[in-house]
Amino acid sequence: MNYDPQSLLGQATPRVDGVAKVTGAARYAADEVVANPAYAYLVTSAIARGRIAGFRLEQAMAVPGVLDILTHENVGDALKQSPPGPDGKPSTTTLESERIWHDGQIIAVVVADTFEAAREAAHKVEVDYAEERPAGTFGDEGTQTEPAEAPFGPNPEVGDAAGAFAAAPVKVEARYATPTQHHNPLELFSTTCAWEGSKLTVYEPTQFMHGTKARMASQLGLDIQDVRAVSRYVGGAFGSKGVNGRAAWVAIAARRVGRPVKLVATRADGFTTNSYRAETLQHVRLSAERDGRLTSFFHEGWELSSRPSPYCVAGTEQTARMYACPNILTRVNVVHADRNTPGYMRAPAETPYMFALESAMDELSYALGMDPIELRRVNDTQIDPVSGRPFSSRSLMPCFDAAAVRFGWQRRDPQPGSMRDGEWLVGYGCATACYPVFTGPAGARLTLMPDGRAQVAMAGHELGTGAYTAVAITAARLLGIDVDDVTVSMGDSDLPPVIVAGGSSNAASTALATAKVCEEARRRLAAAAVTAADGPLRGLDPDALVLVEGRLRHDGGAEEPIRDALVRVGGRLEVYAEHVPDGLPRGAVAALGDGQLLFQHNGNRSDVTAFAFGAQLVEVRVHRRTREIRVPRVVSAFAAGTIINPMAARSQFMGGAIWGLASALHEATELDHGAARYVNKNLADYMIPVNADVPSVDIIILPEKDERVNALGIKGIGEVGIVGMNAAVANAVFHATGKRLRELPIRAERLL
Amino acid sequence: MSGTLNRREVLSGSVLGVAAAGLGGAALGAAGPDAVAATPAAAAQGSPARAEIVLRVNGRDRLLAIDPRTTLLDALREHMALTGSKKGCDHGQCGACTVHVDGRRVLSCLTLAVAVQGKAVTTIEGLSAGDRLHPMQQAFIAHDAFQCGYCTPGQIMSAVACVHEGHAGSPAEIREYMSGNLCRCAAYPNIVAAIEDARNQMERS
Repeated sequence: MNYDPQSLLGQATPRVDGVAKVTGAARYAADEVVANPAYAYLVTSAIARGRIAGFRLEQAMAVPGVLDILTHENVGDALKQSPPGPDGKPSTTTLESERIWHDGQIIAVVVADTFEAAREAAHKVEVDYAEERPAGTFGDEGTQTEPAEAPFGPNPEVGDAAGAFAAAPVKVEARYATPTQHHNPLELFSTTCAWEGSKLTVYEPTQFMHGTKARMASQLGLDIQDVRAVSRYVGGAFGSKGVNGRAAWVAIAARRVGRPVKLVATRADGFTTNSYRAETLQHVRLSAERDGRLTSFFHEGWELSSRPSPYCVAGTEQTARMYACPNILTRVNVVHADRNTPGYMRAPAETPYMFALESAMDELSYALGMDPIELRRVNDTQIDPVSGRPFSSRSLMPCFDAAAVRFGWQRRDPQPGSMRDGEWLVGYGCATACYPVFTGPAGARLTLMPDGRAQVAMAGHELGTGAYTAVAITAARLLGIDVDDVTVSMGDSDLPPVIVAGGSSNAASTALATAKVCEEARRRLAAAAVTAADGPLRGLDPDALVLVEGRLRHDGGAEEPIRDALVRVGGRLEVYAEHVPDGLPRGAVAALGDGQLLFQHNGNRSDVTAFAFGAQLVEVRVHRRTREIRVPRVVSAFAAGTIINPMAARSQFMGGAIWGLASALHEATELDHGAARYVNKNLADYMIPVNADVPSVDIIILPEKDERVNALGIKGIGEVGIVGMNAAVANAVFHATGKRLRELPIRAERLL
Repeated sequence: MSGTLNRREVLSGSVLGVAAAGLGGAALGAAGPDAVAATPAAAAQGSPARAEIVLRVNGRDRLLAIDPRTTLLDALREHMALTGSKKGCDHGQCGACTVHVDGRRVLSCLTLAVAVQGKAVTTIEGLSAGDRLHPMQQAFIAHDAFQCGYCTPGQIMSAVACVHEGHAGSPAEIREYMSGNLCRCAAYPNIVAAIEDARNQMERS
């Protein structure tokens, strides 16, 4: 491709779906209108471990308007295959049997004429249980621990970490804990299923259209061509909207009652019938020479999962690569308990594991008597210490330097408890943020209309990331037309497959496919123009023609309007192209259509290690007497390669930083240990930030040109913004108070 | 953290507002008593109880036969195909369902539809005049005051009322009076900027 993505992309552009979103016209899955729907309501388990001895359904069935109640006793073999966990491996079940794996498990689905009748009847379903004593989390009797199978390869190990630690002059050793957290996108989990003969349409918010389609087909024993998934807008996802145990039952219910069925699960049900960020325990040892150079790094994690699921995030994959260090040893363990299966939640591996590493780095800085930013500078590297491969680009220290200037880091007195403002103890803290680059396959169809306007179609996902806009910008720049002249269609499995919108891969994957299809259109127009019997471009080199300013232009100056060029190919041009990242099979896009997940990532690319990086600095104020904690200022700087739309990117980095702040100070799903039950399953008790919680958030986006990561130099931005905040806040609290908190969230009571 | 917010105060304030509006609506409801009286007969026929009510939504009267337990939110979404108002919790905790009832912001998930008969309900679909966006809608686009957009109708309805109430005088005041509307994408700083911008335009016009 003969263009420079840095100069081509990167102009701030209001969202192309903005009008739809501010007028209520944007259709989310539960907004889809279907004819004469019946309504489903879930009945969930009141115990965490055991089995269902029996149901008493008489009272529920007597509620006027009730049509059907699905239980394991009456669904037969309607479900052909249980949904897997988020990692594709075994998970807990729902109506497949009488088995109870966790509190809040789906055990019955009530269907009625109205939502109100379904809800009433669901509360009248009586269940007899044979209950066993559950184990809820770490330390509870009955949990089982086993070494984890890390998702992207073996646990990193280099040199002799134990020996180097024993011999080192300066060392720290500490244990850290991170809590259970739930995504809580504002949109409730919903599924609407409508049959037309043997064909099923499922309206469900999803991060992977073709995965939803393929999963429904396999679970219901349908031909994959008979399933269509629709999800035009997703009301926030953060990793939560994928495989679930609800959707197939809605389809089965719709078949049984002969009507479309709509389920909007309650907020509380979202906590137990979907995934979450599992709690972790971590053990870190760091050692260094007196000049700060690391000599060893040991990191072991324990992650909670359900009984059947081996799901883990194994964040040592990332922490081991952060700093130059000759001796590294990492281990990850899964601890099984009577809980629902966890899953991907925004920066799944990095958020808990970087809390431990970046807290330990801060502890080491005090042990060394060294500024924490300087400690990171001493150990900065352009070479991945695990693989020995170069980073595709790494602008970590430029991020720290830019953020430190904006923040006023030089005003920091290193002595803990030394900075005060009246009754407030003031602390400055910092941490590294990182997120690995994932890029996936994607197909795209482009139609150039006779008037020069363009339509791009792909089964992409708009979760709030600005996906429609990013594709429109990319197509507009590469076709030399205005963003307003591009229409983008997404959110329908009838369109060409696109990789899951996860792993911050959305922008790179969709933009690369868009660029490919636009290049194919340019090539066809150029070929027609240079071989035409007449016209200003006849006989010129087709590779020297570019689409710019609504024209097909030769670098020598000859040109013709794109409309004239289109006449030569029949007035309307439709092209299809696929982008398949290096190292993935040629048929990768077709494989997506079958629901397979294929990514290019650090575990399977042999040329470089690719990460986006950032530096996050916070000011914390802790009240001298009450220990109230406030964060008046956050400054975060990021370098993530090419930025397609700085306007949406800034919003996403900002949202990430606020997520991180909430993770550090607010968010935890509390567990009743005896019952293995979540106790704060609502938005008043699960503390997500409100407007008045949010301080000044200053986002700096550093220009970064990365010619190795992919053809457009795009790294992804959706997750890196959250990663450093846990540790930055904890480190600032230590600086303010002298008290080191190694367990999240940090709340006033832990500072008393 | 930085704010002086007590989230429960903010939430309970909104809830009380809804309750007050609901009582008034029931007393004024033209079709209310008759419709409610008709429900036992319907139940005896094995279908859910229905109340016939008239709702005035976005300037139009709509006749509905609904279960008397139907919330205003579900009436809008499931019975009038006005899906701009969103269900984020169904418990009055998130604000995504915010609409105006006689000009006041109300949580439609905590308001029974039968209770707002005779009152003027305005939803996000009725905020703009034809194709011309309300200044608040314009400002939300200009300041990128949303990401996924799910909370946005509620944020905008709340923001318009916040300005009319005179509670948008400063960023701190806006933050306080907009804290009943959660945004999980955390577009909060942009929401505050949009409201300040729109407030200036609304005051000029």
